[in-house]
Amino acid sequence: MPAPNGLGRRHEALPHTADVGLRAEAPDLPALFEEAATALAELAADVPPGAPWVERRVERSATDLEGLAFAWLDELIGLADAAGAAVAATTVEGIEEHGGPDAPWVLRARVRLVAYGPDGARPRVGVKSPTYHALRVEPHDGGWALTAYLDV
Amino acid sequence: MRHAPSATGPVPVERLDATRWRIPRDARPGMRVDGIVYADEAMMALLRDDPALEQVANVATLPGIVGASLAMPDVHWGYGFPVGGVAAMRREGGVVSPGGIGFDINCGVRLLRSDLDEPDVRPILGHLADELFRAVPSGVGAHGSRRLSRAELDAVMTRGAAWAVQDGHGWHEDLERTEEHGALAGAEATGVSPRAHERGAPQLGTLGSGNHFLEVQVVDRIEDPEAAEALGLRHGGVTVMIHCGSRGLGHQVCTDHLAAMDRTVARLKIVLPDRQLACAPLGSPEAEAYLAAMAAAANFAWANRQLIAAAVRETFARVFGRSAERLGLHQVYDLSHNIAKFERHFVEGTLEDVCVHRKGATRAFPAGHPDVPAPYRSVGQPVLIPGDMGRASYVAVGAQGAMEATFGSSCHGAGRLMSRHAAIRQLRGVDVARDLARQGIEVRAERRDLLAEEASIAYKDVEAVVRVSAAAGLVRPVARLRPLAVIKG
Repeated sequence: MPAPNGLGRRHEALPHTADVGLRAEAPDLPALFEEAATALAELAADVPPGAPWVERRVERSATDLEGLAFAWLDELIGLADAAGAAVAATTVEGIEEHGGPDAPWVLRARVRLVAYGPDGARPRVGVKSPTYHALRVEPHDGGWALTAYLDV
Repeated sequence: MRHAPSATGPVPVERLDATRWRIPRDARPGMRVDGIVYADEAMMALLRDDPALEQVANVATLPGIVGASLAMPDVHWGYGFPVGGVAAMRREGGVVSPGGIGFDINCGVRLLRSDLDEPDVRPILGHLADELFRAVPSGVGAHGSRRLSRAELDAVMTRGAAWAVQDGHGWHEDLERTEEHGALAGAEATGVSPRAHERGAPQLGTLGSGNHFLEVQVVDRIEDPEAAEALGLRHGGVTVMIHCGSRGLGHQVCTDHLAAMDRTVARLKIVLPDRQLACAPLGSPEAEAYLAAMAAAANFAWANRQLIAAAVRETFARVFGRSAERLGLHQVYDLSHNIAKFERHFVEGTLEDVCVHRKGATRAFPAGHPDVPAPYRSVGQPVLIPGDMGRASYVAVGAQGAMEATFGSSCHGAGRLMSRHAAIRQLRGVDVARDLARQGIEVRAERRDLLAEEASIAYKDVEAVVRVSAAAGLVRPVARLRPLAVIKG
């Protein structure tokens, strides 16, 4: 596992024969989901510092934490693809367990996007979908860990 | 959500004959049928450490599966289903599983032939590659020549390749030489989410990224002269192969319905060994909604390959100063290798309608089958098998053995051997494009530095895959195609 990005936060890419995986660790759930987004963003594109960005607000819900991770990664991938842009940064404002019986977990976040182009983001790997394959969100070392595989 | 307890230890396999291995139905809890893997000894040696065998066993637990959970010789680790997996489900009591079709719905291959020979192309190969690279948008974020309106996109998803031909992008004969004539019935554009629409609207006519490609090739070996003649292939003739799918639209359709079926599985208390195998009973509203949206995405993919083929014809005409008709740029065939379809097959001696899932597998109907286009009915359905960009691809035709053993299915490609990361690590410091140029192969790519991910060492040798498929009686090899120019996303 590479060096931490912030206080107890770190991520790495995981090998898969045809596609890619990622693992993120963080002290709490919002930081964990942000760290997973950072791992996804690094796989998908190179984003130059200072590139102009737009911000979108997103909200997703799911029946459990793995489902919420799937929905979060789906949101990031779909948002970026539809906008012809790369995910540059995310701020997860909250992950709460309330909601209705069908979707008790709710995530609210802001996502910064940088458009692809000569002065903008440069694509790396075309990340196209999240998967449920070996998807885990679990307590780890006093914090949390998230493992996911992505279709590329 | 209920998951079956995971077993530990390697999946037991026993050899049946020179090309088949059995995973007995008692190998893992919940298996309803055996797993059958098509492989030679060398392939099986590599597979023993690959999660693909566990995935073959997992697929065997799906409700309503009949025959066996099948793995073609190009099988490798996928998600839920292995890539190279085939499974047929009974209408009554069976399920459809979006993971058994794959994220890139109707990812497939189209092959054009021409009256050109290698010496016609070789002197201007670099220029031709540049022009094709310009004409066919590729890579992440690639957009087509125009953004489709909502009404246009709905028409594409309903009519598929026929929409493109009517819009001036192709010839009517192309439709006759396309699986399902380029449009699956039952498509419902209304079942496709707004996000899928957003992703698809600007992407029609684009190649995409990953393992998708466009290749100019030459026929360098004929193995079945009679079938080659029927397919219009001749030794030394130049061909063009297109490999791509339904772009962001298809991925979003799969993702949306996978999430919906994840909830269905929980509600119906279906026990699955892998959440990615989420499924819904055939005939249920969830299954019907998925199959209608899957057909819409499949039709988008056929229209996508139709537009790319039209761009190829226009580019060749411009570069060679002759019309595509005069260049003889006829379509050999277009097929899907990520799809589910209802087909009639023998199950325990009785002809039944079954839902055949092909995930990284190609339909391979034999001579005489009514779904084989009339010009090819005497030899069998063309099976297009892309290899890797440094070696070769194959054209085969379906054989009777496929109908008897694999629900009319065969391999779809070479199959990956190593991860992208491992390929980059092994080729650190190697300029893949320059190495290919030394072999006479021109490569154009959005990210030349990422070509190592798709280099030959990352793939099995397609020759071995074709050899096993043929020895098992699934296909008859017709011709080998050697790459001359490769356009990568």
